[in-house]
Amino acid sequence: MQKTAGEQTARRALGSLGWSAIGLGVAGGLLAAVISAGSDLGTIIGIFSTRFLGIFIEAAPFLLLGTLVSGVIDSFLTPEDIARVVPRNPVLATIVGAFMGFAFPVCECGVVPVVRRLFNKGLPMWVGVTFLLAAPVMNPVVLVSTFVAFGATPMLYGRFILTAVVAVGVGLVFALGAKPHEVLRAQSWMPAMGGSGQISLPAAPRKPLRTGLMDALRQAGDEFFEMGRYLVIGTALAAAMQTLVSQEVLLALGRGPVISVLVMQALAFVLSVCSTVDAFLALAFVGTFTTGSILTFLTFGPMVDIKSALMFMGVFKRRVVFYLILLPLLMTLLAGVWLNLNVAF
Amino acid sequence: MQAADHLHKHEHPHDHDHHHAPDALQAWLKTAILLALGAYFIYNIASGNLTNYINQRFAWLSYVAAALFLALGAAGAWDLLRGQGRVQCACEHDHDHQHITWLALAIVALPLVLGTLVPSRPLGSAAINGDISLNAAGANFTSFSADPLQWNVLDWLRAFNSADDPERFNGQEADVIGFVYREATFPEDTFMVARFTISCCVADASAIGLPVVWQNAGDFPQDTWVQVRGVFEVGAFRGDTVPVLHAAGVETVQQPEHPYLYP
Repeated sequence: MQKTAGEQTARRALGSLGWSAIGLGVAGGLLAAVISAGSDLGTIIGIFSTRFLGIFIEAAPFLLLGTLVSGVIDSFLTPEDIARVVPRNPVLATIVGAFMGFAFPVCECGVVPVVRRLFNKGLPMWVGVTFLLAAPVMNPVVLVSTFVAFGATPMLYGRFILTAVVAVGVGLVFALGAKPHEVLRAQSWMPAMGGSGQISLPAAPRKPLRTGLMDALRQAGDEFFEMGRYLVIGTALAAAMQTLVSQEVLLALGRGPVISVLVMQALAFVLSVCSTVDAFLALAFVGTFTTGSILTFLTFGPMVDIKSALMFMGVFKRRVVFYLILLPLLMTLLAGVWLNLNVAF
Repeated sequence: MQAADHLHKHEHPHDHDHHHAPDALQAWLKTAILLALGAYFIYNIASGNLTNYINQRFAWLSYVAAALFLALGAAGAWDLLRGQGRVQCACEHDHDHQHITWLALAIVALPLVLGTLVPSRPLGSAAINGDISLNAAGANFTSFSADPLQWNVLDWLRAFNSADDPERFNGQEADVIGFVYREATFPEDTFMVARFTISCCVADASAIGLPVVWQNAGDFPQDTWVQVRGVFEVGAFRGDTVPVLHAAGVETVQQPEHPYLYP
């Protein structure tokens, strides 16, 4: 990933700014709520702690499994293997792109490097875009965690169907409306196709199983801290909301067919919680927020959030990153609002 | 030159300066946190506290988590003890690896802090805050036992929910366990015998309860776990006409092993 110094500084500044804003917001909200709630502090901390640990305990195994599964599969299957089996027909290829996550499970923080590698191996640009948006949801780990959280309900099917539809839709928009060189940064794709070839990535060596497993273990330890902090902050926010914010305020935000969807999209974008565990956070909103808004949270969040948007910039041109955020945003917004208005759950 | 430089960076995505003392300290702290999280999950399972947090059906996930945390911690400790620090791993995913910061370590340690410093308790009255339901959807008579004296609070509410005429339950005997929930507006001889139901974990907890009339209702403070035996009689409660449990006896009992009901 080549970055200019300015870009790195900007990213770092944006990152720390984001963190400070979240931190201040959470602290301020907590303080205001504790003061206004009037119950005694010990009781509030006790309830908060139970709710926080409930989500954390349910989610932690999936965070670990997610990184381990992708690490282990990495030693059996390389992105090259996948790029090879993609069909020629463009529409078919896009649909295959939406389901490739089941063969190559990655969450939204792991998907960008994989996509870059796929582009480098000559995967059509729009198929890569579809994979990028779909893979964080369309994979076995998320299937299980969403099932644990919601059971075999419309929320489970809806999450997978809507994700596939939006990802294929955005992929087709890119297929029709854009040339690869307008989309990808020059170093992201093959020299044969006119890229600069500055990074022709070496083929990932297929690792022996034992090394692969050890690497996966080490990697998972590191990633647990990287993704765990988003989980902990998101969980703390959800638990604080359930504990401190009054039912009336939540219902005022959560009952509106449009406003509820916008609120959940904003939350998904800001919290950046890993797609393997966001279903447990979504549970905290079930009683108070519309079903469409929760479904939007579960589909939009894995496609685009602060963390992944920053990573997009390493692969895609700036204007394209804008579309990669805007198209899923609008499509999931429409879907969420439409469901709220037309479907009784 | 630039390309070669880049390739070098790319192949060693984790190759930051690992030789500084703070890095070694950080590596040890990380390992310690992973092992401690493993221990915390085992403690939760062994002490039975796990049922304060999640549906018993998903307890196996905590076994998985305990094993994985210990495995990750052990792998980290193994590397550290062999003096290799972080061996450069051959893996390719360069997930935007920033150096893990002290802040990240502190944030990830928060569950341990709360888990050890705050006493583990199931949700109780204070978490209800007026939001308690006298209804339970999903009437499914086959899911509970044939003997109504075995029915819990959830079973009763489901039975009421699926019956067209609440009067049908007049004179029906019941024997239920729950915690005492009382609002300021309740009459003096009335409380609710309440439970939380959870499907996945406490994030989806919702409170349900049966109104109980008992002459010495005031003897039982909020949150006391009680066993109530009595007879239903339709009456007014909170503006609704519902079956009210007229108690023949109320006894204090131990908090049940599973404080929540699983619908």
